[in-house]
Amino acid sequence: MAVGQQSLFGSGLKRWIPWLLLAPGLFFYFLIGVGPSMATAIYSLTDATGIRGLPINWVGFDNYDEFLFQGARSRDNLDALQRTLIFMVLVTSIQFGLGLVMALLVNQKLRGRMIFRTLFFIPVILGVAVQGLMWKLVLRPGGGPMDSIFGWFGLESQFLNGENAFYWVLVVQIWANAGFTMVIFLAGLQTIPADLYEAAAVDGARGWKLFKNVTWPQLTPAVNTNFLLNIVGSLQAWQLFLVLTGYKNGTQVLGYVVYAEAFGGTGTGSFRQGYAAAASIVLFLLVLILGMAANFVVSRRERKYMG
Amino acid sequence: MTAITDTTDVVVRDDAGARRRRITRMVSSYGIMLLFAAIYVGPLLILIFVSMKTLPEFFADPTGLPESFQFANFADAWELANFPRFLLNSLIYTVVGTTLFVIMSVFVAFPIARGYVKGAGALLTLYVVALFLPPALIPQFQLILNLGMFNTRQGYILLFLVNPIALIIMVNYIKSIPRELDESAAVDGCGYVRFVWSILIPLIRPAIATVTVIHAINIWNELILANVYLTNEDLFPITKGLIVFEGVYGSDWPKLAAAVLMLMLPMLVLFLFLQRYIISGLTSGAVKG
Repeated sequence: MAVGQQSLFGSGLKRWIPWLLLAPGLFFYFLIGVGPSMATAIYSLTDATGIRGLPINWVGFDNYDEFLFQGARSRDNLDALQRTLIFMVLVTSIQFGLGLVMALLVNQKLRGRMIFRTLFFIPVILGVAVQGLMWKLVLRPGGGPMDSIFGWFGLESQFLNGENAFYWVLVVQIWANAGFTMVIFLAGLQTIPADLYEAAAVDGARGWKLFKNVTWPQLTPAVNTNFLLNIVGSLQAWQLFLVLTGYKNGTQVLGYVVYAEAFGGTGTGSFRQGYAAAASIVLFLLVLILGMAANFVVSRRERKYMG
Repeated sequence: MTAITDTTDVVVRDDAGARRRRITRMVSSYGIMLLFAAIYVGPLLILIFVSMKTLPEFFADPTGLPESFQFANFADAWELANFPRFLLNSLIYTVVGTTLFVIMSVFVAFPIARGYVKGAGALLTLYVVALFLPPALIPQFQLILNLGMFNTRQGYILLFLVNPIALIIMVNYIKSIPRELDESAAVDGCGYVRFVWSILIPLIRPAIATVTVIHAINIWNELILANVYLTNEDLFPITKGLIVFEGVYGSDWPKLAAAVLMLMLPMLVLFLFLQRYIISGLTSGAVKG
């Protein structure tokens, strides 16, 4: 191996072939992936609009100042920020719990378990347009299926048109993604060696005790992955709001504010992309801080259980 | 002797208890699973029922079974929603975008997985980090606008030539292929391109299947990028077409339900055939710690 790994497939000019073939993929990754992603920080310091040919000027931190501190708009923004956090906490905890229960159920040696697994996972592959329209039908006020169910209990709701619209979107969000949490737990459950259970059963452990002493610690990698993915994913999720409720004050989360401000979705028809970029960076910092906090918790858990 | 008898006794009693517990557990498991299944299949069933109702029938009873099985709504929606065109657009974006991406990503993933290029580790980190960076949305828009590719097929497809998760899946899979293979092929005088094309690709077929399906589903389901980059109705993919259709025929749920079903059908079929690949790909690396 004295020739070195780089020259395994030839020497001289031939040494550059791997680079040459890697270049297109890497080029596009920089051009439309990681490059623009990082450039968001730069745009957040300008007054860029979405209109071609209009000059772009530096405005320093004005966008941040306006977004967080100026006028009624900033109070709306802070509300959206708070709503994003509520969305994150509820989606993460409920989806985590449901995903775990579903995984434990379909991991048992029961007939038909493959059918249940498939059913619970299907919404994940449908995409927001189908997920959203499906639930718009289910949640149709004045005689929709959910309305009928509410009727049995003498309840009434305007669902997506009413004041609890936010929570209905939250329900759809969890319905759509719990299957993903489930398959990660399931993959984790299947790596647990059966003899651990046998040994614990010989010691007389069963039910809750078996779960607490064997399943839960053994499931650490899947628990951690789901915890992190759910936190980051729910902070960034907003697309279902677009299909289910549209842009309305009092329901939007931060991700939707970014999109609406940048692409004329606020109803005012303005494309404030510098401002939206600042909002995007605020959201990114939120993801970063909470993601790092979650990562801290997770690695402590890992040390505790995995040594 | 008594001790032995006692033990057997305990074991027998325990067996009966164990069986009872097992049965209780089985029954309650099925109960809960069926409840979940109802929540998961319910919306889909309602969609199917509604798609077979006439409009007056729907207004009279939005929830129940249809009176007869009729498919007029599907034909109507197909015509009214401009479905053939949108479907063709979605197909073009999905096939071209996925093919280009998968071919390019093999040639990116292989040298990174093997360390055949300098800085392979740093490159991989760059792909992992991307998962946490802010969305590329705004600068990307400025770029496409200034390239004059706004509202073009090429511009829209360009957006789908990147998928860090898919690339990481590919790298991880290639790492499981023994390196000795490269070495013996190289000794035999096999060139780099020929090696990747005719030896590596057949070996990593499961990873290619996973990445292809995941990426194709992403493109097929994309709504936000279509909203942002396409304003010319002739270029709309089917997701965007469906939302436009909803805007016009929003209260005609039977037709809308038929349209939604037609949109999801191709992905559903693809998924049912390839779910093994999709799920193994999405969970790979998730549980290894």
